[in-house]
Amino acid sequence: MNSKDYIAEARGGTTRQAAKPKPQAQAQAAAAQPAAPAKAPEYKYIGKPTARVDGREIVTGRAKYTHDIKLRGMLIGKILRSPYAAAEIVSIDLAPALALPGVMAALKLAEGKVRYAGQQVAAVAAVDERTAEKALGLVKVEYKTLPSVVDWERARDAAAPQVRDDRPNVGKLNEYARGDVEKGFGEADVIIEHTYRTGFEVHNPTETHGSVAAWDSDHLTVYDSTQNIHGVRDGLARAMKVPAANITVIKNYMGGGFGSKLGANDYTVAAANLARQAGRPVKVLLSRRDNAVCVGYRPSSSQTYKIGAKKDGTLTALQLTNMASGGVGDGDDVAEPAVDIYRCPSCKVFEETVYTNTGASRAMRAPGHTQGAFGLEGAMDELAAALDMDPLELRRRNYSTKNLGDTGMPYSSKGLDKCYELGAKAIGWERRNRRPGEGGGTGPLRRGIGVATSIWFGAGVPGTLADIVLYPDGSVEVICGTQDIGCGTRTHMAVVAAETLGLEPKDITVKLGNSDYPWAPASGGSLTTPSVAPAIRDAALKAVERLKAVAAARLKIEAGDIVMADRKFASKSDPAKAAPFADVYRDLRRETVFHGERGAMPMDQFAFNTFGAHFAEVEVDVETGRIRVLKYAAAQDSGQIVSRLTAESQVVGGITQGLSAGIYEERVMDDATGNPVNPNLRDYKIATALDIPEITVLFADVFDPRINNLSVKGLGEPARVPSSAAIANAVYNAIGVHVREIPMTPKRVLEALKRKEAAS
Amino acid sequence: MRDFKIAEPRTADELAALLAESTESARLMAGGTDLVDELKSGVATAGLVVDMDKVPGLRGITAEKGGLRIGAMTRVVELAEDAAAGRDYPSLKEAALSLATPQLRNAGTVGGNLCQRPRCWYYRDPQVVCRKKGGFNCFAYQGRNKYHAIFGGSGCFIVFPSDLAPVLISLGAQATVGTAKGDKVVPLGDFYAGPEVDVTRENVLAKGQFLKSVWVPGPKPGQRAAYVKLKERSTWDFALVSAAVAGVVKDGAFTEIAVVMGGVAPVPWRLKKAEDALKGKAVSKAVIRQAADEALKDAVPMRENGYKVDLVRAALERAVLAAI
Ligand SMILES: Cc1cc2nc3c(=O)[nH]c(=O)nc-3n(C[C@H](O)[C@H](O)[C@H](O)COP(=O)(O)OP(=O)(O)OC[C@H]3O[C@@H](n4cnc5c(N)ncnc54)[C@H](O)[C@@H]3O)c2cc1C
Ligand code: SF4
Repeated sequence: MNSKDYIAEARGGTTRQAAKPKPQAQAQAAAAQPAAPAKAPEYKYIGKPTARVDGREIVTGRAKYTHDIKLRGMLIGKILRSPYAAAEIVSIDLAPALALPGVMAALKLAEGKVRYAGQQVAAVAAVDERTAEKALGLVKVEYKTLPSVVDWERARDAAAPQVRDDRPNVGKLNEYARGDVEKGFGEADVIIEHTYRTGFEVHNPTETHGSVAAWDSDHLTVYDSTQNIHGVRDGLARAMKVPAANITVIKNYMGGGFGSKLGANDYTVAAANLARQAGRPVKVLLSRRDNAVCVGYRPSSSQTYKIGAKKDGTLTALQLTNMASGGVGDGDDVAEPAVDIYRCPSCKVFEETVYTNTGASRAMRAPGHTQGAFGLEGAMDELAAALDMDPLELRRRNYSTKNLGDTGMPYSSKGLDKCYELGAKAIGWERRNRRPGEGGGTGPLRRGIGVATSIWFGAGVPGTLADIVLYPDGSVEVICGTQDIGCGTRTHMAVVAAETLGLEPKDITVKLGNSDYPWAPASGGSLTTPSVAPAIRDAALKAVERLKAVAAARLKIEAGDIVMADRKFASKSDPAKAAPFADVYRDLRRETVFHGERGAMPMDQFAFNTFGAHFAEVEVDVETGRIRVLKYAAAQDSGQIVSRLTAESQVVGGITQGLSAGIYEERVMDDATGNPVNPNLRDYKIATALDIPEITVLFADVFDPRINNLSVKGLGEPARVPSSAAIANAVYNAIGVHVREIPMTPKRVLEALKRKEAAS
Repeated sequence: MRDFKIAEPRTADELAALLAESTESARLMAGGTDLVDELKSGVATAGLVVDMDKVPGLRGITAEKGGLRIGAMTRVVELAEDAAAGRDYPSLKEAALSLATPQLRNAGTVGGNLCQRPRCWYYRDPQVVCRKKGGFNCFAYQGRNKYHAIFGGSGCFIVFPSDLAPVLISLGAQATVGTAKGDKVVPLGDFYAGPEVDVTRENVLAKGQFLKSVWVPGPKPGQRAAYVKLKERSTWDFALVSAAVAGVVKDGAFTEIAVVMGGVAPVPWRLKKAEDALKGKAVSKAVIRQAADEALKDAVPMRENGYKVDLVRAALERAVLAAI
């Protein structure tokens, strides 16, 4: 899925609101502005730390991932990929491969031009991996190589080879304007203008991509390592011309995706076609190298911010131009943070994308926002320095309560102020250098503290479905066609059901990861918990109503007089009148299904967003350019937290990923070979356990019943958005020069220090 | 991975004979942490893999002639944990502990570490045939070269990746090479040869020869040594630049000194000019800076590795100050 479709999903499936809401809607919104929302109810499990219900299975190796799937008669499929960044395929000869004993199927997957190294060309399926590998070597492909360009800066040259036949190498990506920026800059006392760049970050999930496809007459079952079982099913239905009703997609456990596993992939279609040809199940697993060339990455950006402000910090104008690059696909629109987060009457955005002969980018954990937060928040810190102002104070000075920079719809709730407060206290904000680089430090070591802000969507998707099944023997099942991509969805499902039904999480049997189950959205966009938990809550509340009626009949009391707790139904007025759960369930006589749905939210009146503030403390060695993150505090407004342990893990993961992308990770492309030079985990460097600091995770615990029946918002991406930015700003505070480009490798830190030296 | 045969010789002579007589392309395997990776990715092919593991007498650390003999098959972890080595050669222990990860130190050997192949990302790409692999071009020269050499490149700009080699050379170690005609001894510094000698290899081993052991002379009175490794992340990282310094200190000055850098050249790189500039002078930051300036006159950075010049300064200063 590309970032554009992804963001549309993340917004809850609706399109962007007009820049100026209709006056009528505005009046309505004002009228609907609530008094302070009521408090969250007292919960027994929701919001408390619950150990993962599947923890034991995972750590003992019993959890079955797609890579573990073994079906009877299963073949191994392998895919031949173009080594060239651009070439004309003259011919593909499968015959020598098919002649090899043990090879059961072969396919041509490309004709005409290939436009990036790693593009699928042919596939084989054989009885084992060695045979399949040998067979791949026997496929004869004749290429006529064409000029190519993989360096996005060179791709902008008029002389560069044209990447796509249908358009020039540079195309418009996004444009936005409100107010009059020229007037705004005219009113400003201080104007800064700087360029911030972000590199190519590869998703690199622990579990590489893969699918197992099996036909049973005309029914296709696919085990897929995916974040979107329903999406894969629908995509396969289109690609295979099979009714969606005849396809089942299953994913029980997954080792991460980060946005790179959101749709029906070309290799999944290849597996299904090979399986059809061979009449046997086929498994296709991608390699680590494949992860760097053909299943996406976070596109690069080169963002120039021009910001004007009054002496007191009040913003008057904000202008952003961006040049993104996402290979043969589009780059990301990074403007959202600039457009939305700070109060500013005028704002102008112009973004372009550059095409290169590299695989298309894909949505990656908060696409656009992560890059945008790095640029915008860096610029805000450099503005604060120019104004001689506390960076946190500058952010508070321009706090908005409506979206589109305080010109749009009111936020239904916004706990960002509380996040600033919590995070600043936890990191010890007062210890920062008053001015960037003005701190001490022993020898070559300089310390600094930085902050960065995040905004993201993540209020969930109305229409998400879940069932609760009560069995007469007392067992309870919760079923939802969502997927647990490693974040702890099983646990939150059990927590919500147990809380509502007066049981314990371990009493609940959780079923997910099957596209035959009730519909739920992709696990991307931080949608899973705010979509699924309210649907389960809804189903469970219906079950409670029914159970209370049954219990009331048994106890001969009013249903309204019943409390459910401690595995009993009891009369409030006469606690002696009580019946154990098991007896009441038995009275149901047969299994009973309760359907739940995540209801709508008033999106025409309010903006629903998640917020967060991250604080980092770093130490920089100014002689070697090495950065160490010493301490980190993250505060998130994700509404009601459902399962505190897994929520904390999400935040720690987001910080780890941002630290890693901020200091180490970068895919390096080479124009001469048209390939990345580091398609592995040795030269594509990911932070190790030793690089991760002490982390404090805090939640603002904002209660807002307008979001959904549990006041839950998403968390996965909010935890990632500001993490590279906070570290970069801390580095700025430490050394007095902003590195302005991630990853901040020793090379770049030393170059930035030289820039500072040259300037002074 | 292509199919290959595997041989398990039981004596050093049998090993040398096998290597010398093999008509197929034979590759030695010690711990296999580097070789197997090369074979699997297709960077290297072998008709015959000769496993050294069953040859007796190649593994272990023993006192000899006042110094220590380290067998080629000694695991890196065994060197890191050896009490005598730790006491007499702290910089060697530091280097052993700084390399790779615990898993790799458990499996990888000292001989394998000293004979490991380069990490140039073009060399490691099975699709690329560069000069080192018999092709005509060095892709790094015009291409992506932030990890490449600033000294001694000549048609090939790899950096020699071993952490043990610079330290052992700074300590005056000698290599014992096994051949079909008996052993021979060479200073470890002369064991390595740059691309100007043979671009396809990094050392002087001829067909039929292998590294049997290294011998480190006993510490002299007043001997001081240090190893400083600069890298990007905290662990599981090769040196961007490293500095091994060893010498004899009297009254705040080095009367003898060896400075050997890692990560900067196709072989462990001795900074003779820096040694000369440091020798006999009371050590101070100014003196070290001067020494670095002298040595860096020979540096030829490429488009993306100029920052290594700064790292050489930092590593040299830190290693000298740590040693003294
Ligand atoms: C991810 C990773 C990170 C690493 N990081 C570092 C690091 O930071 N610093 C560092 O110094 N090293 C590092 N290494 C290298 C590691 O130390 C070596 O892989 C290891 O020491 C090689 O030992 P081995 O016994 O497994 O060698 P093998 O893989 O068996 O052999 C390596 C090579 O040497 C040859 N060879 C082996 N023994 C002999 C001998 N006695 N005579 C002649 N030729 C021989 C083999 O033919 C082969 O070509 C890293 C390796 C990996 C995979
Ligand atoms: S530096 Fe050496 S190994 Fe690397 S591309 Fe050049 S010739 Fe090949």
